[in-house]
Amino acid sequence: MEAGRAFPARLACSIQVNMPSQPDTDGSDPEAALLARYAAGDPSAARLLSAKVLPRIYAHAVRVLGDNSEAEDVAQDAMMRLWGIAPTWRSGDAKITTWLYRVVANLCTDRLRRRRTEALDDIAEPADPAQSIEQKLQRAAREDALQAALNTLPDRQRQAVILRHIEGLANPEIAAILDIGVEAVESLTARGKRGLKAALVDQRAALGFENDR
Amino acid sequence: MTDDKEMTDTDLEAIFDAARAHPPDVPEQLMKRVVADAATHQPGRSGWARLFDMLGGLPGLGGMATATCVGIWIGVAPPTNVPDFAGQILGFEVTTDEGLEGATLTGFGWDIEEGKSDG
Repeated sequence: MEAGRAFPARLACSIQVNMPSQPDTDGSDPEAALLARYAAGDPSAARLLSAKVLPRIYAHAVRVLGDNSEAEDVAQDAMMRLWGIAPTWRSGDAKITTWLYRVVANLCTDRLRRRRTEALDDIAEPADPAQSIEQKLQRAAREDALQAALNTLPDRQRQAVILRHIEGLANPEIAAILDIGVEAVESLTARGKRGLKAALVDQRAALGFENDR
Repeated sequence: MTDDKEMTDTDLEAIFDAARAHPPDVPEQLMKRVVADAATHQPGRSGWARLFDMLGGLPGLGGMATATCVGIWIGVAPPTNVPDFAGQILGFEVTTDEGLEGATLTGFGWDIEEGKSDG
């Protein structure tokens, strides 16, 4: 990825304002403290902060995009934005992780949108998700099946399900990341789970659930 | 009654558990790139400090210093078996022969004195 790549104006604006998710109730935000040390010139702070947050946002990008290479670009881009905003970051505005997830979510949305634009033929006649999953499950374990099922969900549902059920975030934080209300998060995750079940139902035996009950 | 072929919340949660237990590993090169980006854009660091980081820090500069010293050494006092790369590139060699017939040595009369001592 090229350093300092242009950031979409819509995203650049949207991540600066209206971040309702606050730091922890005790006022501590270890990531914010590290970012402040980085901004003050501490050369070790960037490595420590990267070790804490990069695995989370990279994993999120991998699961949303289903492509490791694209996920690397997104994660690096998001971290670049973090370094850039470090001098003006105000503790108490929002949690660093929430801000980062939001940047990653928007970058992923942009990429998924471009994919749709570049592959209109595929959208016009989408492949049968069950068939695609079945082919994958012949050589894949549950994680691969989950990724394949996630890929069948619309972008917002996919992000909400991943943030809620895999990243383990609370609904208010997901609402802040996706810039929607808490009720909308609940609706997205519920519909997302229904979509996953529908995508996975034909693979129950292959996933080892046949004899669970 | 639950359909035996229906995915349940429990089934789905088991799959989520597996995903949580095995998050994708961050590639080492990605971590290096991110940390390098951070060093490049860190506020309050001088241009020299950023150049120092770009060159690989102390290990990088150590290697460069060693290579420079070796290069100068070979240039000043090339080993016997080392070919003249300048001559190979240019296609000809220039040699200077400051022989005894030159005016430099004879001007001091050293050759004459040596001849006297021999005689």
